[in-house]
Amino acid sequence: VTWLTPLAGLILAAALIPPLILLYFLKLRRKPMPVACTMLWMTAREDLQANAPFQRLRRNLLLFLQLLALILLAIALMQPQVQAGQFDGGRVVILIDNSASMSATDGPGGLTRLDIAKRLARDRIEAMYGGGMFTSSPDETMIVAFSDRAEIISRFTNSRQQLLDAIDRIRPTHGETRLEEALQLARAYTTNVVDEMGEARPTGEPAHIELFSDGRIADLADQVLRGESITFHAIGTDDPDNVAFAAISAERPFDRPTHIEVFASMINFNQYEVSCDVQLSVNGTARGIREINIPAARLDDESGELRPGRNNVSFAPFEMARGAVIELANLRPDALLADNIAQIVIAPARRLNVAIVSPQGWVIRNVVDSIEPARLDILTRAQYEERAAVGPLDEYDVIIFDGYEPENLPAGRYLCFGPPPPIEGLNPYGRADRQLILTTREDHPVMQHVNMDRVFIRDFVLMQPARDVTILAEGNQSPAIVHAVREQVSVIHVAFDPLDTYWPYERSYVYFILNAIEFLGHFGDAVISQTLRPGQAISTRLPSSATDVQLIHPDGRVESLNVADPTQVSWGPIELAGVYTLQWREPNVTEPQLRAIAVNLLSETEGDLRVQDEFTIGRDEVIGHRAGRTAYVPLWPWAVGLCIALLLIEWWVYHRKTAM
Amino acid sequence: MSTFGASTDPRPRRVDDLISSELMAKLNQVDVMSRKIFAGKLQGERRSKKRGISVEFADYRHYTHGDDLRFVDWNIYARLDKLFIKLFLEEEDLSVILAVDSSKSMDWGNPNKFTFCQRVAMAIGYIGLVNLNRVTLYSFNSNGLLPLPNLRGRRRVQEIGAWLLKREPEGGSGFDDAMRSIALTRQGKGVMIILSDFMFKEGYEKGLRYLGGGGYDTYCMQVLAPEEIDPAKHGLTGDLRLTDIEDDDSAEVTVTGPLLRKYKENLNAYCGKLREFCVRRGMTHMTIDTKTEISALMLDYLRKRGLLR
Repeated sequence: VTWLTPLAGLILAAALIPPLILLYFLKLRRKPMPVACTMLWMTAREDLQANAPFQRLRRNLLLFLQLLALILLAIALMQPQVQAGQFDGGRVVILIDNSASMSATDGPGGLTRLDIAKRLARDRIEAMYGGGMFTSSPDETMIVAFSDRAEIISRFTNSRQQLLDAIDRIRPTHGETRLEEALQLARAYTTNVVDEMGEARPTGEPAHIELFSDGRIADLADQVLRGESITFHAIGTDDPDNVAFAAISAERPFDRPTHIEVFASMINFNQYEVSCDVQLSVNGTARGIREINIPAARLDDESGELRPGRNNVSFAPFEMARGAVIELANLRPDALLADNIAQIVIAPARRLNVAIVSPQGWVIRNVVDSIEPARLDILTRAQYEERAAVGPLDEYDVIIFDGYEPENLPAGRYLCFGPPPPIEGLNPYGRADRQLILTTREDHPVMQHVNMDRVFIRDFVLMQPARDVTILAEGNQSPAIVHAVREQVSVIHVAFDPLDTYWPYERSYVYFILNAIEFLGHFGDAVISQTLRPGQAISTRLPSSATDVQLIHPDGRVESLNVADPTQVSWGPIELAGVYTLQWREPNVTEPQLRAIAVNLLSETEGDLRVQDEFTIGRDEVIGHRAGRTAYVPLWPWAVGLCIALLLIEWWVYHRKTAM
Repeated sequence: MSTFGASTDPRPRRVDDLISSELMAKLNQVDVMSRKIFAGKLQGERRSKKRGISVEFADYRHYTHGDDLRFVDWNIYARLDKLFIKLFLEEEDLSVILAVDSSKSMDWGNPNKFTFCQRVAMAIGYIGLVNLNRVTLYSFNSNGLLPLPNLRGRRRVQEIGAWLLKREPEGGSGFDDAMRSIALTRQGKGVMIILSDFMFKEGYEKGLRYLGGGGYDTYCMQVLAPEEIDPAKHGLTGDLRLTDIEDDDSAEVTVTGPLLRKYKENLNAYCGKLREFCVRRGMTHMTIDTKTEISALMLDYLRKRGLLR
């Protein structure tokens, strides 16, 4: 039980109870009444007192009832509440989870968890600030909405209306639940308070955190409470129905480049097998429905974690030479709709434009020729340097340097053999000889079917690549093939000259070049353009001549982007899943140019909708209070009701005594 | 100040206010009767003071020397050859004594107890005078005993009325002293009627004992106001400081159901005790509510109780 305004009740009790008792101690102010003779009255009174040993107590029953009524009134004024959890004053930070799982509609009447969280938070604010007539003024409250990033909805204030308006402003996102940023924000604002003068002043009191969430927090293991007390309001039900898409991909078959084959993986979080109808739509038009049975999820005996059931679905290749937005929809309704749709954007089937700068021999040229690029140019070093000095070489998808060390490396995608390109992070530190390839990244698209077991390198460049450089092949002395990405530059660097080895005689050499060109050429806009997750940022490269760049949101909202450099367009973070479309104009082209980007939820953490009632932050165990079970129940109406009942009893007792 | 027990009727100013002509006409038929004297006469032990003019036959007895020959029944003598004297009921002049309590406590109630006593005393006095009885009135309170002795004849009616109108209730009762004085100054036998509420804190026993010696056929008429008989019915409620109008003694009471029940029990017990006391001493006790009509009291109730006939 919490007392919202204990002072008001205490003041009332202090003001009224002693005078009441005093009144009973003092002689009652009696009405004078002349009678002929008091003799009989006196004897009657004495008889009554003599015959009733408890007369004193009985007479004081009225006092007792009145005292009780007053105490109840005082209690009512203190506004007692049965609240979920303990709260003992201080600054409060209300954290409201607006991640994807909070959009689950397992609330009563189809309410989402976020709706319930907002309602509970409103109740909490009402209880703290607007509960009653004599509200004590609690400390300030801040409201933070968080998913995979945290946003301050309202700074510390004690304005009830401001806080309520702030809660109304919270909108659902499709992000994951991550607590770290929210905790950091809460700490930043509680330990350093910017006062009205704009000066930061430190406060030593850690805040009390009221967390409204379903408890599925992805980064719990990394968090530690630093003195904050936390009240966790668990929202949601135990066994909501949910089936989600875990992955989606599309490929153009090797032999039929104008066709598209779509694959998806689906997961079932229910502990029973489900059957779903999955519908494939292309550019909004349904193309087919497949039925898929997904096995039941099972609880891991050791860890107690839920292992969702999985199954894959694939759609037979269909012709689609143009670019398209492909959507898979799970038609089986469940609690969370956001993960029932997965979308993917297919780039139009196109062949690549490739340039080779100063080829040392016919080998590379022949290999590149074999993939029938749309255009293959052979550039001299002077030609390249001349063009590179002017600007980006947009016309080529991939530029291959064969034993050439360029001076300029404008935005573009490069495959380099031999000398290291001028890009930071490779850190060449000399040359060495005699190297064997020990391991290759077979899972990387570039290294697929590339077997380098028999490659012996006589002469090569020693490198100490930075951490963010992907090593594709590791030799016994130094990395042999690396992939580095620097802003708009993507480079695959082979640290030796293949012609110094037997590699060109291996089938893997051809695979490597084809893979690398395919990978680099479609990097960013290949078969599947970037598939993003909520919380990530859209980052893409538009032609340098693009103007009037706009972003069309999944809900149709159009947002103009103020882009300084069209080759580096970024927007984010993305809050909602769906297809975002970048639209821009180019000179001499009347039609606006479009590029679609699919954002899919595809999160197993958010898909698991079971409420986590308890969790541990650091060493602190947090036990949740279920919404609906222990909501805030104000007790003062009961106290007032009891008080009125007592007054009625008192009235009855009084009249029973005075009446015949 | 509450109106509880306060009289709303004005105090009688004229004799007509005490007794109306209609009541007088009705009372002409009524006489005061004494059971004791009646009994004595029947035994023939008392001689009348004046010649009986009554024609009401009572009995016969043997003629003795000295008897008036006019009362010899000659018819019986002719039949039996013996002399018998006819005995007639004597119309004796009865001594009627009325003692009115004029203590302050009588000035209470609605109708007022003292006014009621004045009216009853007037009516009985009138009956006494009309029937040529010797009527004596006393008014007593702590200031002493005030007599109006030995009135006879209808002409003295106004005198009684005027005397009664002059009496004002004041002071304590002085019951014991008053009864003692009356007993000491008594002249012969007669009917003694005491009009009072008998609410004497010092007790009524001692005073009544003075009258118990014989000679008086005593009637204790206990006059009580309706407010005294049933206080709850007349609006007595709340936390009160009851003040005795006689001696300013106060009693703080919270009027409750049990208290009112106890009061009634006590009142009944008090009246019962008084009645028992009177019965033991050959007196007659009657409790009279001041609400009672005077005519009804005279013509009905007191007749039934044997005071009037």
